[in-house]
Amino acid sequence: MVVSKKTKKTHESINNRLALVMKSGKFTLGYKTVLRSLRSSKGKLIIISNNCPPLRKSEIEYYAMLAKIGVHHYNGNNVDLGTACGKYFRVSCLSITDPGDSDIIKTLQPDH
Amino acid sequence: MVKFLKQNKAVIVLQGRYAGRKAVIVRTFDDGTRDRPYGHCLVAGISKYPSKVIRKDSAKKTAKKSRVKAFVKLVNYQHIMPTRYTLDVDLKDVVSLDVLQSKDKKVTALKEAKKRLEERFKTGKNRWFFTKLRF
Repeated sequence: MVVSKKTKKTHESINNRLALVMKSGKFTLGYKTVLRSLRSSKGKLIIISNNCPPLRKSEIEYYAMLAKIGVHHYNGNNVDLGTACGKYFRVSCLSITDPGDSDIIKTLQPDH
Repeated sequence: MVKFLKQNKAVIVLQGRYAGRKAVIVRTFDDGTRDRPYGHCLVAGISKYPSKVIRKDSAKKTAKKSRVKAFVKLVNYQHIMPTRYTLDVDLKDVVSLDVLQSKDKKVTALKEAKKRLEERFKTGKNRWFFTKLRF
């Protein structure tokens, strides 16, 4: 079991980048819209919380594999991901369609 | 970044009478039409799978066991599960939108689709497509 040791610093920087995407970029929150963005290949990065049900997680990963879109497993549950997005509800998965000013895609997907 | 809901993609129908059946995308309508304002596609699939053919079957039995029943349907993208498999059987000329308008056009189209799927099954290629999905 490879558990990537997420230091506090990188975790905070992901949160900062997410906040910048929320402010300046385009995104969709929620399973249905994530699948829609995957089908139309509009998504550029998918972020899944760690307590997303495993069947749903594998389904999103399979779609992303077909669409060659990167998936990031967020180090936190849906409550934390919702807070990171600045929302007052839980977010289990989200799709970033336009990163805006943020470099979240370049940092999380270095090969793209 | 890559569009994967394209022609010849093998998909699994998730809802409706044909739930759990494998199908192949014949034509896509990504932006919908006036009647269906959502992304959907025309699929041709297997309604009745061919049964297991074993070596000691006679020719008559093999022919009987390799029969395939086909279906043609317009499905919403939300009701199909795409797979990594493709099935390059040329069904474009046989299966088209106007097939679904009248019963006798549909019957002839299904007969032709059945014939093409059966001959693909008999070659032994695309074995995954012709096996029933167990669930």
